[in-house]
Formats: sequence, structure tokens, C-alpha cells
Amino acid sequence: MTTTMDRTASAGHSAKSPLIEKLNVFTAFGLGIILAVVFYVLAAKLIPEDTDAMLIHTKHDQIILLAMIGWFIGFMVGIGALIGPFRWLLGKDLSHDENMFYAGKDLGTKRYFRYTTDHKVVGIQYLVTTMIIFGVGGILAMLIRTNLGNPEGGWIHPQAYNAIVGIHGIIMIVGTIIMITGPFGNFVMPIMIGARDMAFPRLNALSFWLIVAAIPPILSSFFLGGIMTGWTAYEPLASESPAGMDGYIMFICIFAISTMVAGANITATVVRMRARGMTWNRTPIFIYGVVASVALALPAFPVFFLSQIMSAFDRAMGTTFYNPAGGGSGWLYENLFWLMGHPEVYVILLPAIGALMEMAPVFTRRPLFSFNVAVMGIAGICGLSALVWAHHMYMSGWAPLLNGPFMLTTELISIPTGMLFLVLVGTLWRGRLWLTVPMASIYALLWNFMIGGITGIYLSDVPADGALHGTMFVTAHFHYTLMGAGLTGAVASLSYWFPKMTGRMLDRRLSWVSFWMVQIGFNVAFIGMFLVGLAGQPRRVESYNAMFNRGNMVTTAGAYVIMTGMLILLFAVVDSWRNGIKASDNPWFAKTLEWSVPTPVPLENFATLPVVTTDAYGYGKAKS
Amino acid sequence: MSQTQTQDKAPWWKRKDVKETATLWVILSVLIGGLAGEVIARSMGAPASETMENTIRMMKIFTWVSAPVAGLVGAIALKSLMQKRHYGDTPPAESDHEIANSPKASAVWIVTSGLLCLFALVFGMIVMQEDAKSLQAPNAIHVNVTGQQWLWNFDYPDNAGVRSHDLYLPVDRPVIFNVSAKDVKHSFWIVQMGVKVDANPGYITQTAVTPNKIGVFDVRCAELCGLLHAYMQSQVHVVSQADYDAWIKSQGGRA
Amino acid sequence: MNRRIVGAFATVVLGAGLIAGIGTYVSAAKADTTILDATPAGTLETPQGTLKHFTMDLSIYPDSFFKTSSPHPDWVSYGPSTNFRVPAHSAITFTMKQYDSGEPITNDFFARVAGTMNGTINIDGKDVTKVDANTIGHTFTVRGLSNGKSNLFINVPMPMVPEDKMSENEGEYINPTIVKFTIITGDAGEYVWNCEFPCGDGTLARFGGPMSSQGFMSGHFIVTDN
Repeated sequence: MTTTMDRTASAGHSAKSPLIEKLNVFTAFGLGIILAVVFYVLAAKLIPEDTDAMLIHTKHDQIILLAMIGWFIGFMVGIGALIGPFRWLLGKDLSHDENMFYAGKDLGTKRYFRYTTDHKVVGIQYLVTTMIIFGVGGILAMLIRTNLGNPEGGWIHPQAYNAIVGIHGIIMIVGTIIMITGPFGNFVMPIMIGARDMAFPRLNALSFWLIVAAIPPILSSFFLGGIMTGWTAYEPLASESPAGMDGYIMFICIFAISTMVAGANITATVVRMRARGMTWNRTPIFIYGVVASVALALPAFPVFFLSQIMSAFDRAMGTTFYNPAGGGSGWLYENLFWLMGHPEVYVILLPAIGALMEMAPVFTRRPLFSFNVAVMGIAGICGLSALVWAHHMYMSGWAPLLNGPFMLTTELISIPTGMLFLVLVGTLWRGRLWLTVPMASIYALLWNFMIGGITGIYLSDVPADGALHGTMFVTAHFHYTLMGAGLTGAVASLSYWFPKMTGRMLDRRLSWVSFWMVQIGFNVAFIGMFLVGLAGQPRRVESYNAMFNRGNMVTTAGAYVIMTGMLILLFAVVDSWRNGIKASDNPWFAKTLEWSVPTPVPLENFATLPVVTTDAYGYGKAKS
Repeated sequence: MSQTQTQDKAPWWKRKDVKETATLWVILSVLIGGLAGEVIARSMGAPASETMENTIRMMKIFTWVSAPVAGLVGAIALKSLMQKRHYGDTPPAESDHEIANSPKASAVWIVTSGLLCLFALVFGMIVMQEDAKSLQAPNAIHVNVTGQQWLWNFDYPDNAGVRSHDLYLPVDRPVIFNVSAKDVKHSFWIVQMGVKVDANPGYITQTAVTPNKIGVFDVRCAELCGLLHAYMQSQVHVVSQADYDAWIKSQGGRA
Repeated sequence: MNRRIVGAFATVVLGAGLIAGIGTYVSAAKADTTILDATPAGTLETPQGTLKHFTMDLSIYPDSFFKTSSPHPDWVSYGPSTNFRVPAHSAITFTMKQYDSGEPITNDFFARVAGTMNGTINIDGKDVTKVDANTIGHTFTVRGLSNGKSNLFINVPMPMVPEDKMSENEGEYINPTIVKFTIITGDAGEYVWNCEFPCGDGTLARFGGPMSSQGFMSGHFIVTDN
């Protein structure tokens, strides 16, 4: 006992460097901006001027990319991400005191602005960041819809319109990728499996702050001429784009690293750190959703990273990976992009469906129907989704002979997807429905995802794709899956886990109002979009034939309703967080482990680690 | 509890809630299939080629095939919603229905969805083959399509020197499009004929169609291609063979 | 209870206000907001009868130093504006002063004249229907959406000024190629125009830079009823 005391005391005295205490988000932004300016000035001075002999001028892109790399290095150093590795190099790892400081012990609200390793802090940080990302993406969405309110467009210049469409797309994709795995995967998941923290707490903080570092580059691209490619950044159009494209490239590269780090961390945590007795068939289904999602992201995002590095080379070094004038091919980019792009939609969907399947037994008070089928469905989607990417390229002319095989794999995916439907309706069947926002969200998911799924069957079919590819039909289809199913799951998760994360209940009345406005507005907006798509309106157009006017008006009206609903939800979250009704430790009377710990959840979660003897779905069984 | 037990004695298909669900299922399936099929056919407008006719017919059939699946999910969800609702801050009593698994139901569900998949695949393959026929037609005329930011232009290699901004085609004659681009990727799409293929710089891609209706139709670019992508549109004039020959002649070609 | 309703309402109003503010800013942030109107010039005999006649004078410069503030002074540009407004059902005679050099065009389809009155343009006094595809400077190409109301296609190729003839006098370019042509407008509508000669040097396919940015080699072409 005395020796321990001595050791901590001496370690605290000798090794807790004041530098660790000084670094926070402000030093990060400061150092990031300083280094960006320094890199910019040096690059502008030192890089030789472009000559007329060069087909592609590269100097400007080199300067911008270097400035962004400067920002990235400065930010990561300024936030303190390199202190751990640096101390390893010195051979002096962090002391216990320093580690507890890093975990945010006794820091109060300050810990949310630092490189904090506690998974609950990271979860809250992710939650707020996700909401900010959705805010930005939502504003852009409203600009798009307002411009499309009349057929001649012109409210926004086409150049700005293309930038808005592209950045709305990519920032919403990133937002939806992190919307469940980030906040709830970090905050809830370790408690749910009975662990004290993630397997690699510092990597956890790293994955979060990488996302913060990635956001300024993508927003800066508005001021660098924008991007004119849409979120897909197809080549060679991306090489032709102004320097805003460099912001996109940097954003994706940093975000891809974040996803890989988070994926490795979450997978390791779930595989290694489940509580004693939590065998795979006692592991909650939400955990499966999250792990399947990050496991899919693990192979997918390095490919995305690579494709963007090659884009950066084409733009800034004059290589011709994608430039046909130099023997390159845009098809190469399409393949690399969709190798990431298709698994990615399931990266978004699986945690959302996992979360709703987790809530289904709680709000029907009966066991989850066919746990095994649910796991098979998730695994089946995981496996197949890596083999379907070229259905985005049916019409690209790349390999018409492969259209048949890709049609096969794509249509096969409806089998595991159907299994998830079976699990949900099976759980509802003869349950006692406790009508809360999460319960209603399950219904919204069934409705929206059914529409998204069936329209997906049309699109998976090559001849139908000949009429529908590249139209608003596709846009409506993926909004039904990513927003109608995905975002609905995320909002349900927020209202379900809000009491555990904040200690208060999310305002019931306001969240109901928001739920109905968003769902009704959403269906109005995107059914209108299906109709103009069927009638032949292309995607991503700033101006359209007068014949599509009515459908677009409907969509725009629906979009305003969604906006109102979302803003009400925003108020409900902020207000309930501050003054909501105090929640008990287990307001839903659920049986998973996160509800067994006190609220607010103490540092390291469990005083004694739990032992699990049964699955978490024993509703109804307990009585008989 | 006693009520449940008496219910459980009857075979499952004779139980009241099952019967009601089945009725709902039938109603919903018919509603969904009819409504969605009609909406699709109306929205897609009058087809101008057999390819588009096939596509619309196929989408209608797919709608009818998936309607029972959607209808069943809807029926079960609605039936569950109609009985035993509970509001409030505390949970309802535990459900008396505690079946956590049903291998039989799962197996039936999976096999059925597998069969539906197989149907969609085979049907799609057949239509694909039919659509590809125009590509092999010996009497086909050729049109070279060039996409450039942000306009289409068309060359008629059968009549050297004939070029146009709007596309002219004779009716009922297969046309093979050799599609390419000068700068970035575009996508050549004749809306009412349901054909589409990307125009790639440095490569030639092909698609083919047989227009079967005289009239004016739309070519639109279906792949975002930069600043004025929205305006990258042309018209297709499908005319009789005689009118087509006359047009070719007026453009300086041999009829 | 009341506080919550007021709060939610205030959030909606603030959010909508924020979006409206950003929208107004984005909408106003156009590099070239000026619109050049056609000048009335009596009437003109055309194949479609006697129509009201208007004129419009435009220049094409190898750089944009003529603008008081350009983010890219070295980019080629149309002047004095890139947005034009002309009356419907009228004859409009354009006089283009083309000051830039050139080279072979990538797609010689755009070396042919289309959509002008009589199908011809007048270059330095000579009527022609096409221009040598190897010596193009720029083109003026107008089009609308392909509906019956706004299907329009005009293409006017403009020959280059040979490098040795390009000369400046006190910062002003002299010795342009002068291209004159008349078009007859149809119904009112919003159209766009751009240059189809790839002149964005140093970008992929030479279609980036000034070709893909607002206020240089593309713009709006508005046909109005009054």
C-alpha cells in the first residue's frame, strides 16, 4: 500500500509535464493556422513557376495541398496527438497520473475540448460534431432545394451550385458514417459489452480529432473555387476542377485515416474486451451492427484514400493515372471509388438497423425474434457488399459483359436485407408496443427502408438502370436508404440513449413533433423526387426542363418541412440537455449492461466488471 | 393468459389475428402493386422504343412481385400496431408472446426471397438479351456521338460530312451509337428510349436502340460534367425513312 | 411549457434566418453580376419579315486586366460583361472584337456556323459559313434546355489573331478580328452561352480555369419579352 502511494506520488511529481496540460483545441487551431500560413508562404516562394510547356499547371495545387498538410500537422501537434508517441521514443511512457489526466479526471467541461481518452467524452464530442456536420450539410441542402424551386435556377450561379451539391453530398456521407458509430459506438458500446474503456483509448481520441482536423479543408474549398464533381469526385472532371478539389482530397485522406483508426479500435475492443460470459450469442445485436460496419470500413477506406492520393498526384505532380491524354482512365477511378462506395452505404446502414433491432425488444417487451437470422443477415450483407461495386458502373461502358454477374450479386443482397426485415416484424408480432419515438422510428424504418429497398431492386436491374441511372430517381433512392433508414435510426438512438449520456430525458412532446415533421416532410420531398426521376430529370442539375416543375416544387416544400422538424429537434436536444427532466438509471427498463451502471457514468464505468449469464432479451421469459 | 391458451389450441392459421393479418396482407399487396405500378408507368411517360417498353413492363412486374413482400411486412406491422398499444413513462407488462425463434418461418422467408431474387435475375437477363439485339442488327445505321463540355454533336458516318447538333433518326431502324468524349466523362441518354451509355474521353462505348415512334424526344447528359451540365441537352427527331433521306440530302449527304 | 414552444419557435426562425442569410450571400456572390442590354437600332429586313433591330458589341480579350478587379487577371475573358439580355422576336446584330491568338480546335464541329440569320457570319467584311478549324480563336455558342420553349442553338466560330499581329498600345489591345452576325430571337427564356474552344491553358483538356468559372468564358443569355 505504501509503495503504491509512493510510486504515484513520485511519478506525479517528476513526470507530469506542464505541456500536456496546456494543449487543447485552441492551441490546435492556432498552431494549425500558423503552420498552414508558413507552408503556404514557403511553397509559394520555393516552388518553381509553371511553364507553358506543362500541359497541366501544378504550382497552385502544390501550394494549396502543402498549406493543408501544414494545417494538418499543426493541428495534430497542437492538440497533443503526438505526445504519446514522442514519449515512447524517449522511452518514458506516460505515468498513471498523466493517463488519468488524459482520461479527463476532474477536468469538468474542459475535457471536451482536449485530447481526452475517456470513451464517454469521445462519444459526446462525436455527437456534437455530427450535429454540426448535419447542420452544415442541411444548410447546403436547403440552398439546393431553394435554387431548384424554379426551373430556370439561376438563384445561385452554376459554379457555386455544383460546389454546394458536391459538398452537401460528401459532408452528409461523412456525417452519416459517423452518426451512430461515433456517438453511440463510443459512448454506449464499451459499457454495453462490460468494458472499462476502448481497447486503445488514445487511438479513440485520435480518430475523433482527425475528423475535426478534416473539416476545415472541405469548408475551405468553397473559397478556392469549389468542386464541380459532386460527392463522387469522378475523374477526369476532378482534375479539371479548381483548387477546391484539393480541399476535398485532403478531407477524404484525413477522414479515411480516422475511419481506419476507429475501425481497428472498435473491432479490437469488441473482440477482446467483452465481459466474462458474454459469448457471441449473448452479445447485443447493436454490437454486431457496429462491428460489421467498421469491419466493412476497414478494407474500404484505404482504397478511397489511395484513389484520392492518385487524384492529388494527377493534380499536383502532373501524373496521368486518370487522364486519358496520358494513357490513364476514368474507369480506374470509378472502380476504386465504388470499391469503397458500395460497402460504405452499408457502413452507414448496419449500425442504424442494429440500433433499431436493439430497441425493438425493449419497446415490445418480448425477445428479439430470431437473433441468429439477424446475425446471418448482417454477415450476409457484409460479405456481399464487397462484391457489388460495379452496379454503379452498368452504364459506364467499362465492362458490359460483367453487368450480368454484378446484377446477380446485387440482387442477392436483398436476401440478407430481407432477413433484417423478418427480425423486425417478427419482434413486433404480438408484442406490447410501448409507443415512444424509438418505437415509431422502427415503423419509419420499415416504411422508408422498404421503399428504398424496392427501388434498389429496379436500379439493380440493368435494363431499368438504362432509364434510371443518373436521374433524380437514384438520388431519391439513396436518400430513402441513408436518410429514411439511416438517419431515422440515429435519431432514435439519440432519444433512446440520451438519458444515459446526459442524465436527462429528451423532451417527449418536441421529439414527437420533430419526428412527424421530419418523416412526413421526408416522404413528401423524396416521393416527389422519385416522380421527376422517373420522368427523366437528371441528377445534379442547376436548371431543368419546365415539365419537372411541379415535382420539384413538392420536393422543395417537403424539404422546408424537414428543416423545421430538424430545427425543433435541435432545440429539444439543447434544451433537454440543460433543463430536461432528470432520468433514472434505467428509464426504459432495458436489460443491456449500459443501463446497469449509474448515471452519470463514472470514469471506467464499472466498479467491478460484470459477469454475463444470459442474453439481453429475456423479456416475457422471466415471468413464466 | 387463458385466452391465449385457448387460441393456441387452434391451428395457427385459424387464429383470429392471423386471419386478420392475412386479409390485410392481400389488401395491401393489391394496393401497393396497383398503385406503384400505375405511378411508375404514368411518370415514365410514353415510350419511344421497344427497349423502353420492356423496361416499363419489367418495372411493373417487379412491382407486382415485390408488393406481397411489402404487403406482408406492412400487414404484420399494422396488425401489431392495432392491438396492445401502450403510452406513458413506464413500460407495459411483459409481452405474453415469448417466441424468440422460428426456424420454419425463417426458412420459408429466406427461400421465398431467394426465389424472388432468382426470378428478378433471370427476367432481367432475358430483357438484357432482347435489348442487345439492336446492337447486332445487320441493317443498323451508325451514329457517332461526341460529348464535349457542354454540348452533344452527332456525326453520321454512313454519310461522310453530315453532322448535327440535334439528332435525326429514321423510325423502325436499329441505330448503333458509338459514343465518345473530348474532355471529361459525359453520359449519352435518350430519355424516352431508355438507353444510356457513358461517353468516356479516349474510349468508344456502344449502345443501340430501335426507335419505334415518330416524334421529338430528348437527349440529356446523365453524368455531372461541370459548369453547364444542366444545359447539355439536345433533341432527337425521329422521322420517316423518306424524311430522313431528305434531311440527309439537305445536309450534303448521299441519300 | 410555454418556454419550450417559444424556444422551439425561435430556433426555427433563427435557423431559417441563417439559411436565408447564407443563401442571399451565395446568391449575390457572383463574379459577374452585370447584365449587358442590347441597344435599339430601328428595324431590319430579315427572311422572317421586318423585325425590330438591336445591336450588341462584345470583345474577347486574352486576359482580364480590363476588369477593375479580377481574381485571375491572366485569364482570357469576354467583355465588357458575360451576361447578355436581348428582346424576344427581334433581330440582334452582334459585333465581336476578337483580340486573342488561337490554334486548332479539338472538335471541328464548332468551326461551323449555326443558328445565325442566313447561316452566315461576316469576318472582316467577308460572309462565311465556316472557319478554318486550325486557326480558331474562340467561339460564341448559345444553347438552352431541350424543351420546345427553349431549344436554341447558335454557334459562331471566331478566327484567331496571328501571334505576330497581336499588339498592344498603352495597355490596350489593337488589331482585333472583327466578326459580325445577326440572330433572330424566338420566345423569351433563360439560355446560357459559353466558348467551345478549349482555352483554359494549364488545365485538363484546357476546359478548366476560365472555361469552368463564372464571369470569364461563359454566362447567361437572357431573352425577354419587353
